[in-house]
Amino acid sequence: MRKALVRTAMLAGLSGIMMGCAVNETATVTVNDDGTTQIIESNSGLLSDSLSIADTKTGFVGNLLKAQVSIKNDSRKQLNFQYKFKWLDKNGFEVAIDGRPWTPISITPYESKTVQGVAPNPTVNSFKILVQD
Amino acid sequence: MKFVKLVAVIMAGLILASCASGPKIQYGDATSVETTTLGFGSTDLQTIAAKLVDDLVTFPPIVQETANRRPVVFVDKIKNKTTEHIDTESITDTIQTKLLQSGKFRFVDMTAVKAVQEQMQFQIDSGMVDPSKAVAFGKQTGAEFMLYGNMSSIVKRNSSAQDVYYKFTLKLLNLESGIMEWAGEKEIRKTGEKSFMSL
Repeated sequence: MRKALVRTAMLAGLSGIMMGCAVNETATVTVNDDGTTQIIESNSGLLSDSLSIADTKTGFVGNLLKAQVSIKNDSRKQLNFQYKFKWLDKNGFEVAIDGRPWTPISITPYESKTVQGVAPNPTVNSFKILVQD
Repeated sequence: MKFVKLVAVIMAGLILASCASGPKIQYGDATSVETTTLGFGSTDLQTIAAKLVDDLVTFPPIVQETANRRPVVFVDKIKNKTTEHIDTESITDTIQTKLLQSGKFRFVDMTAVKAVQEQMQFQIDSGMVDPSKAVAFGKQTGAEFMLYGNMSSIVKRNSSAQDVYYKFTLKLLNLESGIMEWAGEKEIRKTGEKSFMSL
């Protein structure tokens, strides 16, 4: 009885460590203004296995860069995560840091969802999209 | 048994070291998703501002209008028709800042009129300012457009759950012609279990 109690307490403690201190990591996609370069850095354990970038489109509205990214859920379960656009100028400096909020999104199994964003000003010519679970 | 006790003590130590120790106050990401309660929050404010600014600066007639010049706009109050106390000026401040930083619009700040008037009066009347360097009256630029709107909500609840729906509408009116040049809307729906809510 005592042994069982100790074992339960140990398991509860272990799961507490794993759940309570989980770190959200991000996956990043970069698309340049010519639309040709695409670098995918997947450093998120859960999301890199389950998500893929199905398509990206960029265009200018006036002189502001408009970005569209189609995110696909490759897994058999519904994924709830957050995404955020990060805007960069031609020298790679981030523009309007914290200008956009993390936006919650939910994608059903094998479905693709499109997200869009418009650059905060005309100096932007490339962007990254970040996801976190 | 001694071994089990030892492992239990180590595990307890690990729990305390990994989670319970550390500072009680910490800075967080201001743009992270905030779901403390069902009430209007920072994520709602940021989402509304981002969506409406994107809509406005990409609306074709506005793209044309702002292609070679930066129209002057003034921001009127946003009517809060919800049952909550919401600082709607904070929403319009964020929208105004984003529009200004886009390089597409300029603004006249009606909240600073009194202070500006007092400063100009001081420059003329005090005798302390070189008259040739004093700012002249009657030279300010008038706004061409007015930004205004409404915020409303529908709240529904039963014994176990609550649903909140927000609708924020923003409009751009041409002051000379009286024509509404653009309108944008952002809807937000949030649901929660009753026991976790505190509107």
